[in-house]
Amino acid sequence: MRLVRGLVLASALLLAGCGQDASRQQIRIVGSSTVYPFSTAVAERFARKNPKFKAPIVESTGTGAGMKLFCSGVGAAYPDIEDASRRIKKSEMEGCTKAGVRDLIELQIGIDGIMLAESRAGSAIALTPAQVYQALAAQPYGKPQTARTWKDVDPSLPDTAIQVYGPPPTSGTRDAFAELILDAGCKADPATKALSKTDPDTFKAICTKIREDGAYVEAGENDNLIVQKLGANPDAIGIFGYSFLEENADRVRGIPLNGVHPTYDTIADYSYPGARPLFIYVKAAHLRAVPGLAEFVAEYASAWNKEGYLSRRGLIAAPADVQAKNAAIAKALTILDPKTLTE
Amino acid sequence: MTDPVATPQVPERRPTDWKGKVMQRRIANRYAAERRFHAMGLGAVLLSVGFLAFLLVTMIGNGASGFRRTEILVPVDFAHAAIRLDPASFRGPGREAALAAADFEGVLFESAQARFGGGVFKILSEGAWLTVRNKVADNPDILKGKADIWVPASSAIDRAAKSGTPDPELDRVRKITDVRTSFDVSFLVGADSTDPTMVGVWGAFKGSLLTMLVTLALAFPVGVLSALYLEEYAPRNRWTDLIEVSINNLAAVPSIIFGLLGLAVFLNVMSLPRSAPIVGGLTLALMTMPVIVIAGRNAIKAVPPSIRDAALGIGASRVQVVFHHVLPLALPGILTGTIIGMARALGETAPLLMIGMRAFVSAPPGGLTDPATVLPVQIFLWSDEVSKGFVEKTSAAIIVLLVFLMTMNGLAIYLRNRFERRW
Repeated sequence: MRLVRGLVLASALLLAGCGQDASRQQIRIVGSSTVYPFSTAVAERFARKNPKFKAPIVESTGTGAGMKLFCSGVGAAYPDIEDASRRIKKSEMEGCTKAGVRDLIELQIGIDGIMLAESRAGSAIALTPAQVYQALAAQPYGKPQTARTWKDVDPSLPDTAIQVYGPPPTSGTRDAFAELILDAGCKADPATKALSKTDPDTFKAICTKIREDGAYVEAGENDNLIVQKLGANPDAIGIFGYSFLEENADRVRGIPLNGVHPTYDTIADYSYPGARPLFIYVKAAHLRAVPGLAEFVAEYASAWNKEGYLSRRGLIAAPADVQAKNAAIAKALTILDPKTLTE
Repeated sequence: MTDPVATPQVPERRPTDWKGKVMQRRIANRYAAERRFHAMGLGAVLLSVGFLAFLLVTMIGNGASGFRRTEILVPVDFAHAAIRLDPASFRGPGREAALAAADFEGVLFESAQARFGGGVFKILSEGAWLTVRNKVADNPDILKGKADIWVPASSAIDRAAKSGTPDPELDRVRKITDVRTSFDVSFLVGADSTDPTMVGVWGAFKGSLLTMLVTLALAFPVGVLSALYLEEYAPRNRWTDLIEVSINNLAAVPSIIFGLLGLAVFLNVMSLPRSAPIVGGLTLALMTMPVIVIAGRNAIKAVPPSIRDAALGIGASRVQVVFHHVLPLALPGILTGTIIGMARALGETAPLLMIGMRAFVSAPPGGLTDPATVLPVQIFLWSDEVSKGFVEKTSAAIIVLLVFLMTMNGLAIYLRNRFERRW
């Protein structure tokens, strides 16, 4: 009896105590699952070095979903930093501006590579973006997809079934895969390339739509799972970020694209086709309101060089000039000019 | 009174020939059917026990090592370090600031570099200097000389030491200094980290506790009061039927829907803080409440009407009948239902992902509005980590969650046995 009465009282108090928190004591970060391990590492380091600030909260939502949260407004309820595995789109920037988020600081933190990888027991296949595109597109060059084995794509390839484990459409990695590898493969055909001028919508559909007949398996956002699948099936190919390749080098190896093996150096100089820059976006309006935000940005900038702790977690340092440019932005907190953004 | 006893017209019937061939076969068939059913039932039980055993054996096999940590003895020479630290500054006021500002990482790095040659980052954990800082905070006098400090090893060394596979780096370290693998208290008292050697489950555990507290404080009274009203007061009409159907339906709604509801109502409309246990608790309370209502109504229904009638008969009011007699007698059943509902809420991940409780939170939550994560989400997050050291930590966290669940279920069984009355 007393228990029941106590609980009723407790819940009443609890509901009464449900206030809003007007100001926020800690930094909030949302966005890409690719940037997540780097942001968490910086957040942890930042919290250990600065006990006077509360530890930042990092949430992995994917670049697109994070951008929506980030761009919904200015204030304590909205995140301060967006992790992005691609540049902010013009349309997203417009949405941001509409919600009052005018001034962003853009920092390129480094480079990531999207790998095609196979088991160490696999057949040491070597591919080109065009072959990958022809094997995975829903309609390669506008024709129906008929390839069952890699040999159907190109007679020089082994006679094994096409089986690719990759990220789902909500993932920034998938966007980047489509943009960097499928798009490049698609443009190898002159007729299709011409479409990009005359009919961009059809071009996009032909080039980035992935087949849905089971040859491409969406393995969720869990890259460890893909690595496990590759270990179990030597004929399968997986798509994931460079850090997973590095960590699991004893089990899987990268597949060369255009004859270039995915290594730290080939990604750093963009000679590997799957290399892509990673960004963080900081709301300038929050710099004064959220304690420690400027210091956090400085901590990030101190960590992204080749000797920094982020490189031990699989981040590939940007070329020296890009680093210097972004370090200057981090120091002066320069606002991004929206005119420089492309589609 | 003069009824003649009617003689029943039983037709002539031959006695059953139990020894006959046909009958024997039919009996054999019946026994066979009996045995088949018996075997099938036993098989079903064995199958589920087998799955459970497989789960437990794999989890414990993978996770047991997650509770242990490899440490390396590093002699730290404070007195001769390039970075001099003054013991006096770590006493009295300003101590926290001094501890935060001092470069313990540099001091440890220097000593370790001198001891191991190169590759200190491959040998020691990234958070190894925190151990040094804690040691100094405990006793600043060690700064005057040299101290041997056990610091956590890197994930690679840790894995090699636990698996027993030969590792050149580990062998090299073993030749230079002592290495030990022992029970890791920091796993039970720490919070999330990006380094598998530094992680702990307490942050997520506390998040789970706070979330469950909110869930219980809301779902229990609301659920019990609804059940009491529906059983004792509500008139039997179409509206009550409608409510009953709705509650039964609500209990079967997939949990992700509650997450979307929580996102829309608590975060967007009421603008409560994201990732906070209070929002998680509110969301899970919506999910748990129907379970408590259904269990509560069954328990209240099981209280014999004679008890109500007797109480009313000696002049008790309706409220007195309910609170003095019906509710105490129904409470064991209600509590069992509640704990089953709570156990389900404890293992829930999907709705919490929607309201942002999947964040990296490196400090345990201090209150209901602090950002937090919960055990199942922590397991989900760790399973997606790049570093291989997280595999055993994931399994270890699963063991912690299972122990938590079993404790709750054990409590449910205890309460039921302790307070249950039979008529």
